[in-house]
Amino acid sequence: MDQPKNKRYGMVIDLDKCTGCGACMVACMAENNIPFRDDDTDKLLSVSWMHVYRLSNGKPFPQAEECFLPRPCQHCEGEHGHSPCVSVCPATATDYDMHTGIVSQIYTRCFGCRYCMAACPYHVRQFNWWDPVWPEGMERALNPDVSVRMRGVVEKCSFCYSRYQTALNRAYVEGRRELAEEEYQTACAQACPAGAIVFGDLNNPRHRVHRIVQPDLAHGGRPRNPKAFRLLERLGTHPKVYYLTGRDWVRRAGDNEVQKS
Amino acid sequence: MKIDRRSFLAFVLGGAAGTALSPLPWKLTDDISIWTQNWPWTPVPPKGETTYVDSTCTLCPGGCGIRVRRVEDRVVKIEGRNDHPVNRGGICPLGAAGAQLLYSPWRVRQPLKKMDGRFVPVSWEQAIGEIAGVLRELREAGTPEAVAWIADTDRGTTAELCRRFLTVYGSPNFIRTPCAQDAWETALYLTQGQRATAGFDLERATFLLSLGSGLLEGWGTPPFVFRARGALKDNNGRFVQAEARLSKTAAKADQWLPILPGSEGTLAFGLIHVLLKEGRERKPFVAAHTAGLEELKRQALQEAFSPEAVAQATGLEAKAVVELARAFAAAERPLAVCGRGAGRVPGGLQETLAVHFLNALVGSVNVEGGVIAVPEPEYIRWPEPEMDAVASKGMQTPRVDGAGSERYPHARYLLNRLPEALLQGDRPAVRVLFVSGGNPFYSLAGGERTEKALARIPLIVSFSPFLDETAAAAHYILPAPTHLERWEDVPGAAGYPKPVVGLARPVVPPRFATMPTADVVLRLARRLGGPIRAAFPWESHEACLRQTLGPAWETLRRKGFAVEEGFKPQPFETASRKFEFANADLKRLAAFRPLPAPGDPGAFKLTLVPFDTLRLTAALGAPPFLVKALESEILLKNDIRVEIHPQTARDLGLADGADARITTPQGSARVKVYLTEGIRPGLVGMARGLGRGAHDRYLAGKGVSANRLLALVEDPSSGLEAGWGIRARLERA
Amino acid sequence: MDSALIPKGVERCPLGRFLAFIAIVGAVLLWGVVAMFLIYIKGLNQTNMNNAYGFALWIWADLAVIALGGGAFFTGLLRYIFGKAELKNIINYAVLIGFVCYSSALLILAIDVGQPLRAWFIFWHANVHSMLTEVAFCLTCYFGVLTIEYIPLILENRQIERISFFRHLAHNMHGIMAVFAATGAFLSFFHQGSLGGVSGVLYGRPFGFRSGIGIWPWTFFLYTWSAAACGPCFTILVTRITEMATRKKLVKDEVIDLLAKIAGWMLVTYIAAKIVDTVYWAAVTAPAMGFTLMDFYTNNPGSAYGLWILIAEVGLCGVLPALMLIAPSVRRNARLLFLAVLLAVLGACLNRWVMILQMQAVPVLPFERWFTYFPSWQEIATTILPVAYGIILIAFSYRYLPIFPQEAELNPLPEGGR
Repeated sequence: MDQPKNKRYGMVIDLDKCTGCGACMVACMAENNIPFRDDDTDKLLSVSWMHVYRLSNGKPFPQAEECFLPRPCQHCEGEHGHSPCVSVCPATATDYDMHTGIVSQIYTRCFGCRYCMAACPYHVRQFNWWDPVWPEGMERALNPDVSVRMRGVVEKCSFCYSRYQTALNRAYVEGRRELAEEEYQTACAQACPAGAIVFGDLNNPRHRVHRIVQPDLAHGGRPRNPKAFRLLERLGTHPKVYYLTGRDWVRRAGDNEVQKS
Repeated sequence: MKIDRRSFLAFVLGGAAGTALSPLPWKLTDDISIWTQNWPWTPVPPKGETTYVDSTCTLCPGGCGIRVRRVEDRVVKIEGRNDHPVNRGGICPLGAAGAQLLYSPWRVRQPLKKMDGRFVPVSWEQAIGEIAGVLRELREAGTPEAVAWIADTDRGTTAELCRRFLTVYGSPNFIRTPCAQDAWETALYLTQGQRATAGFDLERATFLLSLGSGLLEGWGTPPFVFRARGALKDNNGRFVQAEARLSKTAAKADQWLPILPGSEGTLAFGLIHVLLKEGRERKPFVAAHTAGLEELKRQALQEAFSPEAVAQATGLEAKAVVELARAFAAAERPLAVCGRGAGRVPGGLQETLAVHFLNALVGSVNVEGGVIAVPEPEYIRWPEPEMDAVASKGMQTPRVDGAGSERYPHARYLLNRLPEALLQGDRPAVRVLFVSGGNPFYSLAGGERTEKALARIPLIVSFSPFLDETAAAAHYILPAPTHLERWEDVPGAAGYPKPVVGLARPVVPPRFATMPTADVVLRLARRLGGPIRAAFPWESHEACLRQTLGPAWETLRRKGFAVEEGFKPQPFETASRKFEFANADLKRLAAFRPLPAPGDPGAFKLTLVPFDTLRLTAALGAPPFLVKALESEILLKNDIRVEIHPQTARDLGLADGADARITTPQGSARVKVYLTEGIRPGLVGMARGLGRGAHDRYLAGKGVSANRLLALVEDPSSGLEAGWGIRARLERA
Repeated sequence: MDSALIPKGVERCPLGRFLAFIAIVGAVLLWGVVAMFLIYIKGLNQTNMNNAYGFALWIWADLAVIALGGGAFFTGLLRYIFGKAELKNIINYAVLIGFVCYSSALLILAIDVGQPLRAWFIFWHANVHSMLTEVAFCLTCYFGVLTIEYIPLILENRQIERISFFRHLAHNMHGIMAVFAATGAFLSFFHQGSLGGVSGVLYGRPFGFRSGIGIWPWTFFLYTWSAAACGPCFTILVTRITEMATRKKLVKDEVIDLLAKIAGWMLVTYIAAKIVDTVYWAAVTAPAMGFTLMDFYTNNPGSAYGLWILIAEVGLCGVLPALMLIAPSVRRNARLLFLAVLLAVLGACLNRWVMILQMQAVPVLPFERWFTYFPSWQEIATTILPVAYGIILIAFSYRYLPIFPQEAELNPLPEGGR
């Protein structure tokens, strides 16, 4: 049997379609047992794998425009899997999976040094500052496929890795070694009522993500689609999350640019 | 044995070395780390068999298809059904957080009765018996009309059973909570002669003009509207939002027209004016399918609706009004919608009519990409109940809210008029109030006056599964099961352009001693006996549902929904069999007049405009995930933030994040300010859904409720609630 | 009362006064211990760190004390490897200060991690690519070396010395100290450098990231070099403070002068390299990532991170003390020397501060704003805790151990002595 080819799972988020409703955040919270607290209004202390940023074009009323930018983990490839975070973890508690391109986090190995958080320019890594506590009865809604994280460890979006494993298990039981595009979808992509999030294998020319982005795999996956861009492209993190927009100012908000005078 | 220093040292050092070389410290170190990986206070969700159950979400009038993931008997995740025509796999944040409602520790676990201001558990038998006793007394006194029922829907077997109960009991006072459909339904009836709800074929429209509708903030059925907006984008369609605030909808529109709040109707008439003046109406449609154009011309071609006058009223430039009208008329399938925000306030009837006329002028009525009159479902065909004399007499009395009266002939429900009616006389007109949804104690505007009026009712019975504001104020709580624990037929999906019926099913057995509201009705009927009992021949709600649906029951049970895919709108049912821009009924309506925000502009320099967000909810309390997802631009610690323009802030000496006090003619509250260029100077934007007096600790006590600061504003043409804002003052606190 | 424990030929203050002093410092220590237990029991929510500030006061304190503790390895290197024999008169103290610094660093690290009980995973599941792994290994090993270097000092206590085994042990350990000094220098080179690498390798953080040679960013070398330059300055500073506190001259001026001179030239070379590095970073590295120099120093709340901080670090606390220390006239003036070493020490601390704190304060995503941070009292208390511990350890060591070989000579006892 042929060895399955390596996958490079990635995401395209159409910022012109995203409405900032928050369904992706809530679906992610429900899928991944994200804890909540009495006061979650300080977003820098709150755990949320998916965060929707509110971008503004900085112009005065009535030229003001806004855009919503959902930000899951970017699953940076860096150079050969050396994402900014994976290479710095001293205890190998985070890993770049060459088979899927997914940056994982092993909660039980992480001892909470937070170096990875300092390394990540996207703020996707979040720390469990508190013990996770569910009000009585609500722990019944916890998903057994995803372990609950204890206090003192870092966590982040895993592209719903448990859903990948579930899908793969099912495929294996059915004697298949390859997953169809729709078999493995992240909770956010599945939930998005605006159809703004597309998820799939960037290596697979048949997958929608590949067709939309047309990644230049020789150059770290740089998008060939002129409407697509990645956050902080200049850093060389080679994220696998792409954004689409027709608006110039939104595109510009995705990276820093030294003004040429 | 003598221990000298040397041997002691040797013992200590040797012991230390021996221990270090033994497995003990290593084993201990390892065990301790294993303990940290398995802290007993960090829950481990039990494994089990995973199954999926299809159902229908009943948390809003949307009726989306949901797919519930269970592990053993626990609900762990709710997703959208890919094969459901309404939401096609999408789900809104509230629906996705549905399991948190099921497992909320703040659910009402058994019937409660308020005694000396505190709730005590009582048996179902006792609660129903006591309430039936009060009902019997009222009938014996010959005043059955003193019973009222507030429900959040008037469709489906449960609502119909409630209404039927009231009818055979002798009260006409069944009241559906207000929503934008109230105005749309009336508009369809008056212009098309059809008793129907308004559906919007958003997916196939190519030019979408929204007059203040929060299309992306809860208007209609969110996943359907969202998908439609995506389709509009894919088809290179155009989407224009006219709204005073850069709402999420405005932010995602192709064009944002920052009109003055409350000027939506004027803008609609202004567009009609341009269309008619320039002869841009779709002449074939207008000629073949409409009547009364001349009357409309007389009305719309007034100077008050000239582009210049409209520019003045809306804050736009005259050119922009003309261009918008031309672009709208030139589009292949233009569609205009209205109903502010999430559409929970009906708005003025004339305003809705103006928008509907606009659609009719471009031929977008009952056609692809237009407004569709979706007939009310007809599967409930119960025999007319036999009424006794008391009931017949009671049903002859005028409705307490004035709906259907001489003054408001076309209104069906006017909940907004109930508070004033209750305040009349020594004894309130309503002696018993049943509330099955809608949470009027929270969601009705009018502040303390409304609360005081409702509190005059001597017996309030709430069917809420949760301890919401109305339940907290009630005398009995007869908790219904949540949306994941009961059968419910769900006819229609708000704003969806085809007839659809969904079936909600018990995904898990009821967690507590709850009872479906319909079963409570059946039991009450049995207790009251006579013709009331005879009107309800069903054993239980489930049995009623089976018999009512007949052969459709099996299909629904298997598939979960039934949609009329090839649905074609019915022909107009007016006398002329045409769409009528004018007729006798329309003529009798009070003329269009933009309603000002209540309050003295001299004393209150600013205007408070509420807005909706999908990360908060209306009647229902937002579950913890929604509160967690709420932006810090709306809630910061326990303070709500109100949006103001930096210019307004400068005038008031307020910095971003500053503490302030907002005062309206209705009341006053502490807020924090949020400075944004996305709001017109002079306005104060405030999210609806906070300021909860009840609910869980993740929501309760946070922020203030806009409803408490707003006044009830009655639309003179229909009696419907039409408030869009109120004059306000903001001071540094 | 404790006179039997006090080294021969020197005088110490009365025991009561000593204990009173210890009690005062001990109270501060206790405050820190209370904060530490609060943090252990309740978790890191007791700090003002957040998801944007994963590294904060503690990591700064770690980096700073390790840089300043660099006096031990560098003085040892000079003494044992380069044969600067005069330095034997200050090496004991340099080792003690180093010991205090490194034990403090380990203590703070043990508080800083979210799961201290499994912090040893850093060794067991070591990731060789991580600078922190290198830091952990070298730091632990070097702490062992410092302990070995410190033990002979303890063994020289009058009472312990009476046991022949310990006397011989101390003697033999002194004999092979050069080996440990060399090991210490080797280890220090790497962990000081790795600490520099901590921010230098973060290619997602344009403020901290530096190009370099192979796997080592320039900050790797700059940190080692600055530790070698500023560590001895700290040794001198603490010696001077000890002299002020004890009102005694403890180390001869020529010893201090030699160390200061060497530190001065180290600082000159370091600061020159630092300036080159800054210019290259500002002109090449950062712009390639989309940043201009001024992006890092403007538009932040209260101008907490204005250009002033760069000027203070490189100019006021870099160039100035370097020039002062290489000037013999400055070194001969006790006050100016004190000022110079103080500035150099502040320079090192400031450098570590910006490389950790400012690195995270700078917004990288264009739509984010500067992140602000101010430590909680628990963080401050636990950071002062090692300072109090250091003072106590130094006080005890000074009182009971012959730390300063020249003390007796410089301070002859009036009447024949003990």
